[in-house]
Amino acid sequence: MRQPTAFTVLIGVLLVAGCGAGQRDAASTATPPVTAPPATTAPTPTGTAFNPTDIAWLQLTVAMTERLLPVLDLVPARTTDPAWRRTATQVATTRRADLERARRLLAEAAAPTTNPHEGHDMPGMVTAPEMTALRAASGQSFHRLLAGHLRAHLAQSVRVATAEQQSGVQPGTVALAAAVVRSGTTDLARLDRLDPG
Amino acid sequence: MDRAAPLSGIPRRLRLATAIGALLVLLGTYLVSATDRADAAAGRAGADFGANAIRVAEFPADCTYSHRLPDDPIVFPGLPGASHMHSFFGSTVTNAKTTLPDLVNSPTTCDPRVDVSSYWVPTLYRDNVAVEPAIATFYYLGEGVRADVVANTQPFPQGLRLVAGNAKATGPNDSIARWSCLHAGHVPPSKDFVNCPSGTMLESYLDFPQCWNGRDLDSPDHKSHLAYPVNQACPSTHPVHVPKLRQVLRYPVTGDPSRFRLASGPGYTMHGDFFNAWPVAELARRVQDCIRPVIKCGHDGRPI
Repeated sequence: MRQPTAFTVLIGVLLVAGCGAGQRDAASTATPPVTAPPATTAPTPTGTAFNPTDIAWLQLTVAMTERLLPVLDLVPARTTDPAWRRTATQVATTRRADLERARRLLAEAAAPTTNPHEGHDMPGMVTAPEMTALRAASGQSFHRLLAGHLRAHLAQSVRVATAEQQSGVQPGTVALAAAVVRSGTTDLARLDRLDPG
Repeated sequence: MDRAAPLSGIPRRLRLATAIGALLVLLGTYLVSATDRADAAAGRAGADFGANAIRVAEFPADCTYSHRLPDDPIVFPGLPGASHMHSFFGSTVTNAKTTLPDLVNSPTTCDPRVDVSSYWVPTLYRDNVAVEPAIATFYYLGEGVRADVVANTQPFPQGLRLVAGNAKATGPNDSIARWSCLHAGHVPPSKDFVNCPSGTMLESYLDFPQCWNGRDLDSPDHKSHLAYPVNQACPSTHPVHVPKLRQVLRYPVTGDPSRFRLASGPGYTMHGDFFNAWPVAELARRVQDCIRPVIKCGHDGRPI
């Protein structure tokens, strides 16, 4: 009795898995061949292909930037130093533009609008307790905290944008990654001059 | 995005490879089942299951700690360094760029060696020093649903990617984590770290969902292609019953929980990632011989 059972069950599994599903090519679902491409690409309404790296990087960029902007918004109230204020304004302007581009690309990819990293403490993200400490600091101690968070954010942004340049495929997304690497590297150098510590 | 994606973009050659693969799987299953039949005839003395079989639908994989990386090939594919620190178990090669073909031929820390799947969790720190589990067991179970549902359990599709638990939990209420103490049952379990007496170990339990939508290897949130059972059965949206994966980690630490943190935050942010790379026939055999007939099996997938 066991032999037919094994066959029946296996065929059942293959059917469930989609191998017999006719027009749907099952290669990418239940039993991808070992030769499957590492990053699958999905056609979007506009015909521009995003791979999983593109989507993950865009979502992470949105999440990281949304966490940074409130930090930069604190600057005018916490310090009168014109150099720090200029730097904060400049980084915020660049990152806001990046954020808009990332959101547009996510919309184009028809990726979920919910932020999968909301409330998620990832490298380069300021946590709620750190935000509280920033709000309580001013002058030099504020500069020191700000420099640390800004450096961590920019370094992590450059790191993941470099990875997106290597593993992403969608031209607009890879171009945005290149822009983030360029501006991030420039901002890091500017930060080093401002805070040599 | 990552779900059942390139339907039209797969070259003909790949489809042919899939078809040949399916035939090989059929052949493999036939051989395994034939061998198994001989074993059954020799060992089970004419009964459906041996007189001494333990009636628990279970087979385990014990996979010791392999390595740490700030990578997550499910949540941040292709983006090394994008994640908080993870501790990896099973396949020894997993990194941000890992795909199924990388796992299939990889070395593994698992007993049994045929399990080349990858399992990972946020790293546990005590006083900011990483601590790795002394024991990491991944149980494949048939429980929490009606007997007829267990009897119809299907294997996980190879290449399935799945996240369980809530890395973003802001409190115990939005968490399914469970912390307890090994050999200290009197300490009540909690969704956050517990204070274990010396001589015991801090334990983490995490159950993965066991109802699959029958279609997708992954989903945008890496969770919703599977669901937990409702009223002891799988919901119509996720009709395929697969084994319940239960991750049990035993950490060699005790005492003051305020000294512990996970890379993802407090204890209730515990989560687990599973990238299934079991050989199709091996997993199918274990489901058939251990889960469906409700028999407790050992690491070799044979009745204990």
